[in-house]
Amino acid sequence: LSRRRPGTTELTGSTNLITHYNLEHAYNKFCGKKVKEKLSNFLPDLPGMIDLPGSHDSSSLRSLIEKPPICGSSFTPLTGAMLTGFRLHAGPLPEQCRLMHIQPPKKKNKHKHKQSRTQDPVPPETPSDSDHKKKKKKKEEDPERKRKKKEKKKKKNRHSPEHPGVGSSQASSSLR
Amino acid sequence: MTEKFDSLEEHLEKFVENIRQLGIIVSDFQPSSQTGLNQKLNFMVTGLQDIDKCRQQLHDISVPLEVFEYIDQGRNPQLYTKECLERALAKNEQVKGKIDTMKKFKSLLIQELTKVFPEDMAKYKAIRGEDPPP
Repeated sequence: LSRRRPGTTELTGSTNLITHYNLEHAYNKFCGKKVKEKLSNFLPDLPGMIDLPGSHDSSSLRSLIEKPPICGSSFTPLTGAMLTGFRLHAGPLPEQCRLMHIQPPKKKNKHKHKQSRTQDPVPPETPSDSDHKKKKKKKEEDPERKRKKKEKKKKKNRHSPEHPGVGSSQASSSLR
Repeated sequence: MTEKFDSLEEHLEKFVENIRQLGIIVSDFQPSSQTGLNQKLNFMVTGLQDIDKCRQQLHDISVPLEVFEYIDQGRNPQLYTKECLERALAKNEQVKGKIDTMKKFKSLLIQELTKVFPEDMAKYKAIRGEDPPP
Protein backbone atom coordinates (compact mmCIF):
# COMPACT_ATOMS: atom_id res chain seq x y z
CA LEU A 1 0.00 0.00 0.00
CA SER A 2 2.70 2.45 -1.02
CA ARG A 3 0.54 4.73 -3.17
CA ARG A 4 -1.78 7.29 -1.76
CA ARG A 5 -5.39 7.00 -2.73
CA PRO A 6 -6.59 9.47 -5.34
CA GLY A 7 -8.70 12.28 -3.96
CA THR A 8 -12.47 12.04 -4.23
CA THR A 9 -14.62 14.65 -5.93
CA GLU A 10 -18.33 15.21 -5.76
CA LEU A 11 -18.66 15.53 -9.54
CA THR A 12 -17.55 12.47 -11.52
CA GLY A 13 -18.42 10.97 -14.88
CA SER A 14 -21.06 8.84 -13.21
CA THR A 15 -23.15 11.97 -12.50
CA ASN A 16 -25.68 12.95 -15.13
CA LEU A 17 -24.07 16.22 -16.20
CA ILE A 18 -27.11 17.35 -18.20
CA THR A 19 -29.19 17.28 -15.00
CA HIS A 20 -26.37 18.65 -12.85
CA TYR A 21 -26.01 21.79 -15.00
CA ASN A 22 -29.81 22.17 -15.52
CA LEU A 23 -29.61 21.58 -19.25
CA GLU A 24 -32.66 19.31 -19.61
CA HIS A 25 -34.65 22.06 -21.33
CA ALA A 26 -31.81 22.74 -23.75
CA TYR A 27 -31.35 19.01 -24.38
CA ASN A 28 -35.06 18.48 -25.12
CA LYS A 29 -35.12 21.56 -27.35
CA PHE A 30 -32.12 20.62 -29.48
CA CYS A 31 -32.06 16.84 -29.27
CA GLY A 32 -35.74 16.08 -28.71
CA LYS A 33 -36.81 17.21 -32.14
CA LYS A 34 -35.18 17.52 -35.51
CA VAL A 35 -33.01 20.59 -36.04
CA LYS A 36 -33.06 21.75 -39.64
CA GLU A 37 -29.82 21.53 -41.51
CA LYS A 38 -29.55 24.79 -43.43
CA LEU A 39 -28.45 28.20 -42.22
CA SER A 40 -31.49 29.75 -43.90
CA ASN A 41 -33.72 27.78 -41.51
CA PHE A 42 -32.01 29.55 -38.60
CA LEU A 43 -32.02 32.96 -40.31
CA PRO A 44 -35.06 32.89 -42.62
CA ASP A 45 -35.16 36.64 -43.14
CA LEU A 46 -31.55 37.12 -44.14
CA PRO A 47 -31.34 38.02 -47.86
CA GLY A 48 -28.93 36.40 -50.27
CA MET A 49 -27.92 32.79 -50.86
CA ILE A 50 -26.63 32.11 -47.34
CA ASP A 51 -26.71 28.32 -47.63
CA LEU A 52 -23.72 28.38 -49.93
CA PRO A 53 -20.29 27.90 -48.33
CA GLY A 54 -18.56 31.14 -47.39
CA SER A 55 -15.48 30.16 -49.38
CA HIS A 56 -17.48 30.54 -52.64
CA ASP A 57 -17.71 34.30 -52.40
CA SER A 58 -14.94 35.01 -49.85
CA SER A 59 -17.52 35.79 -47.18
CA SER A 60 -16.36 33.23 -44.60
CA LEU A 61 -16.11 34.18 -40.96
CA ARG A 62 -12.87 32.23 -40.65
CA SER A 63 -11.16 34.47 -43.19
CA LEU A 64 -12.41 37.47 -41.20
CA ILE A 65 -10.80 36.10 -38.04
CA GLU A 66 -7.56 35.01 -39.68
CA LYS A 67 -7.19 38.18 -41.71
CA PRO A 68 -9.14 41.00 -40.01
CA PRO A 69 -9.60 44.05 -42.24
CA ILE A 70 -7.42 47.02 -41.42
CA CYS A 71 -9.68 49.94 -40.61
CA GLY A 72 -9.82 53.06 -38.47
CA SER A 73 -11.18 53.24 -34.97
CA SER A 74 -14.25 55.37 -35.69
CA PHE A 75 -17.10 55.53 -38.17
CA THR A 76 -17.41 58.92 -39.87
CA PRO A 77 -20.35 59.82 -42.11
CA LEU A 78 -19.58 60.19 -45.80
CA THR A 79 -19.13 63.79 -46.87
CA GLY A 80 -20.43 65.25 -50.14
CA ALA A 81 -17.03 64.88 -51.73
CA MET A 82 -16.83 61.22 -50.72
CA LEU A 83 -20.33 60.57 -52.02
CA THR A 84 -19.35 61.74 -55.51
CA GLY A 85 -17.46 58.47 -55.75
CA PHE A 86 -20.81 56.67 -55.54
CA ARG A 87 -22.34 58.24 -58.62
CA LEU A 88 -23.51 55.28 -60.65
CA HIS A 89 -24.35 54.73 -64.29
CA ALA A 90 -28.02 54.17 -65.00
CA GLY A 91 -29.23 50.76 -66.07
CA PRO A 92 -29.47 47.19 -64.80
CA LEU A 93 -26.60 45.21 -63.30
CA PRO A 94 -25.24 42.07 -65.00
CA GLU A 95 -27.29 39.00 -64.09
CA GLN A 96 -24.73 37.41 -61.77
CA CYS A 97 -24.65 40.48 -59.55
CA ARG A 98 -28.42 40.80 -59.25
CA LEU A 99 -28.83 37.75 -57.01
CA MET A 100 -27.79 39.61 -53.84
CA HIS A 101 -31.23 40.72 -52.77
CA ILE A 102 -33.04 37.56 -53.77
CA GLN A 103 -34.08 35.54 -50.76
CA PRO A 104 -34.20 31.75 -50.70
CA PRO A 105 -37.74 30.29 -50.84
CA LYS A 106 -39.19 30.70 -47.38
CA LYS A 107 -40.76 27.75 -45.64
CA LYS A 108 -43.60 28.31 -43.23
CA ASN A 109 -42.18 29.10 -39.85
CA LYS A 110 -43.91 29.32 -36.50
CA HIS A 111 -41.56 32.08 -35.36
CA LYS A 112 -41.77 34.83 -37.94
CA HIS A 113 -39.39 37.74 -37.73
CA LYS A 114 -40.89 41.02 -36.78
CA GLN A 115 -39.68 43.32 -39.60
CA SER A 116 -41.91 43.93 -42.59
CA ARG A 117 -40.54 43.86 -46.14
CA THR A 118 -41.22 45.94 -49.23
CA GLN A 119 -40.15 45.48 -52.81
CA ASP A 120 -39.31 49.16 -53.32
CA PRO A 121 -36.79 50.99 -51.19
CA VAL A 122 -38.31 53.21 -48.51
CA PRO A 123 -36.80 55.74 -46.14
CA PRO A 124 -35.54 54.33 -42.85
CA GLU A 125 -38.36 53.60 -40.42
CA THR A 126 -38.84 55.69 -37.33
CA PRO A 127 -38.50 53.71 -34.08
CA SER A 128 -42.24 54.00 -33.35
CA ASP A 129 -43.14 52.57 -36.78
CA SER A 130 -40.83 49.61 -36.41
CA ASP A 131 -42.18 48.91 -32.92
CA HIS A 132 -45.71 49.05 -34.24
CA LYS A 133 -44.85 46.62 -37.01
CA LYS A 134 -43.04 44.35 -34.59
CA LYS A 135 -46.19 44.11 -32.49
CA LYS A 136 -48.20 43.13 -35.55
CA LYS A 137 -45.64 40.46 -36.51
CA LYS A 138 -46.86 40.28 -40.11
CA LYS A 139 -44.97 40.57 -43.37
CA GLU A 140 -46.31 42.35 -46.42
CA GLU A 141 -47.33 39.89 -49.12
CA ASP A 142 -46.41 40.15 -52.76
CA PRO A 143 -49.24 41.36 -55.01
CA GLU A 144 -49.16 37.99 -56.80
CA ARG A 145 -49.61 36.06 -53.55
CA LYS A 146 -52.42 38.41 -52.49
CA ARG A 147 -54.24 37.80 -55.77
CA LYS A 148 -53.91 34.03 -55.39
CA LYS A 149 -55.16 34.17 -51.82
CA LYS A 150 -58.19 36.19 -52.88
CA GLU A 151 -58.98 33.64 -55.57
CA LYS A 152 -58.73 30.85 -53.01
CA LYS A 153 -61.09 32.67 -50.67
CA LYS A 154 -63.60 33.17 -53.48
CA LYS A 155 -63.52 29.45 -54.21
CA LYS A 156 -64.09 28.66 -50.54
CA ASN A 157 -67.01 31.08 -50.42
CA ARG A 158 -68.61 29.36 -53.38
CA HIS A 159 -68.34 25.90 -51.81
CA SER A 160 -69.17 26.79 -48.19
CA PRO A 161 -70.84 30.10 -47.74
CA GLU A 162 -70.83 29.73 -43.94
CA HIS A 163 -67.07 29.13 -43.77
CA PRO A 164 -65.94 30.37 -40.32
CA GLY A 165 -62.52 31.55 -41.49
CA VAL A 166 -63.71 33.96 -44.18
CA GLY A 167 -64.40 36.94 -41.94
CA SER A 168 -61.24 36.57 -39.81
CA SER A 169 -58.94 35.90 -42.78
CA GLN A 170 -60.26 38.97 -44.56
CA ALA A 171 -59.57 41.02 -41.44
CA SER A 172 -56.05 39.63 -41.10
CA SER A 173 -55.15 40.34 -44.73
CA SER A 174 -55.96 44.00 -44.21
CA LEU A 175 -53.51 44.21 -41.28
CA ARG A 176 -50.11 45.62 -42.06
CA MET B 1 -29.62 39.18 -20.24
CA THR B 2 -31.72 38.95 -23.39
CA GLU B 3 -32.24 42.73 -23.59
CA LYS B 4 -28.69 43.36 -24.77
CA PHE B 5 -29.15 40.73 -27.47
CA ASP B 6 -32.50 42.24 -28.48
CA SER B 7 -30.86 45.63 -29.02
CA LEU B 8 -28.07 44.13 -31.14
CA GLU B 9 -30.54 42.02 -33.10
CA GLU B 10 -32.67 45.08 -33.82
CA HIS B 11 -29.67 47.07 -35.08
CA LEU B 12 -28.49 44.15 -37.20
CA GLU B 13 -31.94 43.66 -38.75
CA LYS B 14 -32.17 47.35 -39.65
CA PHE B 15 -28.66 47.26 -41.06
CA VAL B 16 -29.34 44.18 -43.18
CA GLU B 17 -32.62 45.63 -44.43
CA ASN B 18 -30.82 48.83 -45.40
CA ILE B 19 -28.22 46.86 -47.32
CA ARG B 20 -30.93 44.86 -49.05
CA GLN B 21 -32.67 48.06 -50.17
CA LEU B 22 -29.31 49.41 -51.30
CA GLY B 23 -28.92 46.33 -53.45
CA ILE B 24 -32.34 46.88 -55.00
CA ILE B 25 -31.49 50.50 -55.86
CA VAL B 26 -28.15 49.52 -57.36
CA SER B 27 -29.48 46.53 -59.31
CA ASP B 28 -31.34 48.84 -61.68
CA PHE B 29 -30.00 52.30 -60.98
CA GLN B 30 -31.74 55.46 -62.13
CA PRO B 31 -30.24 58.96 -61.79
CA SER B 32 -33.22 60.03 -59.66
CA SER B 33 -32.25 57.36 -57.12
CA GLN B 34 -28.90 59.03 -56.35
CA THR B 35 -30.24 60.91 -53.33
CA GLY B 36 -31.80 57.78 -51.91
CA LEU B 37 -28.56 55.90 -52.52
CA ASN B 38 -26.54 58.53 -50.65
CA GLN B 39 -29.01 58.37 -47.79
CA LYS B 40 -28.69 54.59 -47.61
CA LEU B 41 -24.90 54.79 -47.66
CA ASN B 42 -24.89 57.19 -44.73
CA PHE B 43 -27.40 55.04 -42.91
CA MET B 44 -24.97 52.17 -43.40
CA VAL B 45 -22.32 54.18 -41.53
CA THR B 46 -24.68 55.11 -38.69
CA GLY B 47 -25.88 51.51 -38.58
CA LEU B 48 -22.31 50.33 -38.06
CA GLN B 49 -21.89 52.96 -35.33
CA ASP B 50 -24.97 51.62 -33.53
CA ILE B 51 -23.73 48.03 -33.82
CA ASP B 52 -20.32 49.10 -32.53
CA LYS B 53 -21.96 50.69 -29.48
CA CYS B 54 -23.53 47.35 -28.61
CA ARG B 55 -20.06 45.85 -28.16
CA GLN B 56 -19.62 47.23 -24.66
CA GLN B 57 -22.67 45.39 -23.37
CA LEU B 58 -21.49 42.13 -24.89
CA HIS B 59 -17.78 42.15 -24.02
CA ASP B 60 -18.26 39.16 -21.68
CA ILE B 61 -19.97 36.97 -24.28
CA SER B 62 -17.79 34.21 -25.77
CA VAL B 63 -18.61 32.33 -28.94
CA PRO B 64 -16.84 29.04 -29.68
CA LEU B 65 -14.85 29.15 -32.90
CA GLU B 66 -16.29 25.81 -34.00
CA VAL B 67 -19.68 27.49 -34.55
CA PHE B 68 -18.13 29.61 -37.28
CA GLU B 69 -17.26 26.43 -39.18
CA TYR B 70 -20.93 25.52 -39.30
CA ILE B 71 -21.93 29.00 -40.46
CA ASP B 72 -19.22 29.05 -43.12
CA GLN B 73 -20.55 25.78 -44.48
CA GLY B 74 -24.10 27.17 -44.64
CA ARG B 75 -25.25 24.93 -41.80
CA ASN B 76 -27.56 25.77 -38.91
CA PRO B 77 -25.43 26.70 -35.85
CA GLN B 78 -27.99 25.05 -33.60
CA LEU B 79 -26.60 21.78 -34.94
CA TYR B 80 -23.36 22.63 -33.12
CA THR B 81 -25.26 22.98 -29.83
CA LYS B 82 -27.11 19.75 -30.52
CA GLU B 83 -23.92 17.87 -31.32
CA CYS B 84 -22.19 19.28 -28.20
CA LEU B 85 -25.00 18.05 -25.98
CA GLU B 86 -25.07 14.65 -27.67
CA ARG B 87 -21.27 14.29 -27.37
CA ALA B 88 -21.42 15.32 -23.70
CA LEU B 89 -24.14 12.76 -22.98
CA ALA B 90 -22.34 10.01 -24.90
CA LYS B 91 -19.08 10.71 -23.04
CA ASN B 92 -20.97 10.88 -19.77
CA GLU B 93 -22.45 7.43 -20.41
CA GLN B 94 -19.10 6.04 -21.48
CA VAL B 95 -17.32 7.28 -18.35
CA LYS B 96 -20.17 6.14 -16.12
CA GLY B 97 -19.90 2.71 -17.67
CA LYS B 98 -16.15 2.63 -16.96
CA ILE B 99 -16.64 3.75 -13.35
CA ASP B 100 -19.36 1.15 -12.72
CA THR B 101 -17.27 -1.61 -14.32
CA MET B 102 -14.20 -0.66 -12.26
CA LYS B 103 -16.27 -0.68 -9.06
CA LYS B 104 -17.66 -4.13 -9.85
CA PHE B 105 -14.17 -5.37 -10.68
CA LYS B 106 -12.80 -4.03 -7.40
CA SER B 107 -15.56 -5.67 -5.44
CA LEU B 108 -15.02 -9.05 -7.15
CA LEU B 109 -11.26 -8.80 -6.75
CA ILE B 110 -11.51 -8.09 -3.02
CA GLN B 111 -13.99 -10.97 -2.68
CA GLU B 112 -11.70 -13.46 -4.41
CA LEU B 113 -8.55 -12.22 -2.69
CA THR B 114 -10.28 -12.55 0.66
CA LYS B 115 -10.92 -16.23 -0.11
CA VAL B 116 -7.26 -16.84 -0.92
CA PHE B 117 -5.52 -14.39 1.48
CA PRO B 118 -7.96 -13.86 4.34
CA GLU B 119 -5.49 -12.44 6.87
CA ASP B 120 -3.82 -10.05 4.46
CA MET B 121 -7.17 -8.85 3.20
CA ALA B 122 -8.33 -8.29 6.74
CA LYS B 123 -5.28 -6.04 7.29
CA TYR B 124 -5.98 -4.29 4.00
CA LYS B 125 -9.59 -3.59 4.94
CA ALA B 126 -8.52 -2.32 8.33
CA ILE B 127 -6.15 0.20 6.70
CA ARG B 128 -8.33 1.23 3.78
CA GLY B 129 -11.68 1.05 5.48
CA GLU B 130 -14.82 -0.64 4.21
CA ASP B 131 -15.85 0.37 0.69
CA PRO B 132 -19.57 0.77 -0.02
CA PRO B 133 -20.99 -1.98 -2.22
CA PRO B 134 -21.21 -1.11 -5.96
